Amino acid sequence: MMTFHDFGMDTASLAGPLDAKLAAVREAGFAQVMIAAADVVGHPGGTAAGIRAVRDSGIEVTGLEALRDYEGLAGQMADYKIDVAKAMLETCAALGGRLLLVEASTSRHAGTDAGAIAGDLARLANLAVPLGVRIAYKALPWSRTAPDFRAAADVAMRVNHPNLGVAVDAFDVLAFGVPLDDLDILDPGQTFLVQISDYTSREVRSSEERLATAAHFRVFPGEGAHSDDLAQVVARLDTIGYEGNYSFDVYNDDYLQVPPAVVTARARRAATWLSETVLRRALPVPDVARLRAAPS
Amino acid sequence: MTHATDREAIPEPQNPLGLDGIEFIEFATSHPQALGGVLERMGFRPVARHRSREVELYRQGTMNVVVNAQAADIPRTVHPGERPAISAFALRVRDAQAAFRRAKDLGAWEIPVRAEAMELNIPAIHGVGESLIYFVDRYDEFSIYDIDFRAIPTVDPHPPAVAGLHWFGIVQYVGADRTDDWVAFYSQIMGFRPLPHEVRFGIMPRGLLLESPCRKFFLQLIEPEETARFAPMEEHLQRVGLGAPDVPAAVAALEKRGIEFLATERVHASERGALTKPLLGSVMFELVKSDPRP
Repeated sequence: MMTFHDFGMDTASLAGPLDAKLAAVREAGFAQVMIAAADVVGHPGGTAAGIRAVRDSGIEVTGLEALRDYEGLAGQMADYKIDVAKAMLETCAALGGRLLLVEASTSRHAGTDAGAIAGDLARLANLAVPLGVRIAYKALPWSRTAPDFRAAADVAMRVNHPNLGVAVDAFDVLAFGVPLDDLDILDPGQTFLVQISDYTSREVRSSEERLATAAHFRVFPGEGAHSDDLAQVVARLDTIGYEGNYSFDVYNDDYLQVPPAVVTARARRAATWLSETVLRRALPVPDVARLRAAPS
Repeated sequence: MTHATDREAIPEPQNPLGLDGIEFIEFATSHPQALGGVLERMGFRPVARHRSREVELYRQGTMNVVVNAQAADIPRTVHPGERPAISAFALRVRDAQAAFRRAKDLGAWEIPVRAEAMELNIPAIHGVGESLIYFVDRYDEFSIYDIDFRAIPTVDPHPPAVAGLHWFGIVQYVGADRTDDWVAFYSQIMGFRPLPHEVRFGIMPRGLLLESPCRKFFLQLIEPEETARFAPMEEHLQRVGLGAPDVPAAVAALEKRGIEFLATERVHASERGALTKPLLGSVMFELVKSDPRP
């Protein structure tokens, strides 16, 4: 059963240094936050200080984002990417995070051989096992490997590793007009994260427009032109048994020019709307909630 | 001409690393003499000392135990503390470098190439928690200990085992809902096979058993129970399992040497197995009815 606490902010939605972002997230009452890796390694005091800031905040880490253009490479490029992946896995574990978001490759250098891609991702899944981190593989519309969640689910099925699942971006479901029934193909146990955001334009006509909207003009659920559709997506995910976290992947240039508290207040409204109005879910068993929230 | 694998599924070899049992198990401790005393009561004898480091080799029968008191300077490895911890196990393999390369290609973390507890360059990967997994080959032609260790004079270098004790396996604690992840890790990288749940050994029935592809030992994965499932994740190598052809005889022999076994309603010595009381706060040995495999 879900509550407000199953929704989290994303540091990429907020302006300012990491400490200010975390403070705003906490003050808005969020219990979890998705960490953009650049916010940690770009901390003015260095990576260790960034990690400490996250740990000291007491906010649970939804996951670390994002490993990009990882799969399908060969030779030295593949070795280089493995090193990047390892560094991100270590950062994720140091943050106390249990999930690394991996975005499907958009690299022109990446091959598309399904077997090779599955092998690369299985290797990543194994690398993540000793660190206690799960791999959430997310489609990108401009990826050749996995342009939507259906393709990402196919890749994950081929990888067939319990430590690798998919992340679904609800934005991509809406922006592409994917039939709601297609969400039924998802294995709820292997769906590790749902990212959720809305946008204000009624339609996106071209792929250029879609890219621009995805990167710059997203808004929080309930603020855009697609509230009803979004509500249906969330309700359907709930119906198929998805019990994981929801993260607001709101990438919006305007939000990077206003104080973080203004943005987190809007996020709070969205989380309340979704948890109380859309999902109308029961409260969790109290002692479980308490134990989960216990500081480590 | 098409490649052979395009036409038919060629099965993976049953034992891809040529695994052939456990070469040694390593404990890290800042109190090596205290642990040495425990090991001696368990029937191990000190047979050699490292030439340059605070490392000792204990042995009984076919079992080697390395006691390491030297602080490691690489991240994610056990720092020797007051409570001894299982810091590594070494697997006998056909070709250590080949095993290491394969493991790396499939997603194991290599530790920096350098001499570790041994002066020999023994390749190793990260295992659970802060533990390491070594790959050792050529174990039958010469001994890795001949190079790094100096034999303790006047001591039998091959002390016989008490009551036929031999390695049976290693118990690994894993986080909540993490069994499947570790099963995938051990089976994909090393060819371990999960056993059906009805196959049980000894008196500690929980968890999932993985059999080594050489069929010489087991790994047992155990998740936390009940409210412990919500505690922060804690994963490590918890205890060593020793096989004994006759458990009551082994219990009697070890009790005579001063080892105490748990005797509660739930856990007590039987024909099937036995569990020692915790020694030095953390060290436990489990006895399991088993005949040594050739």
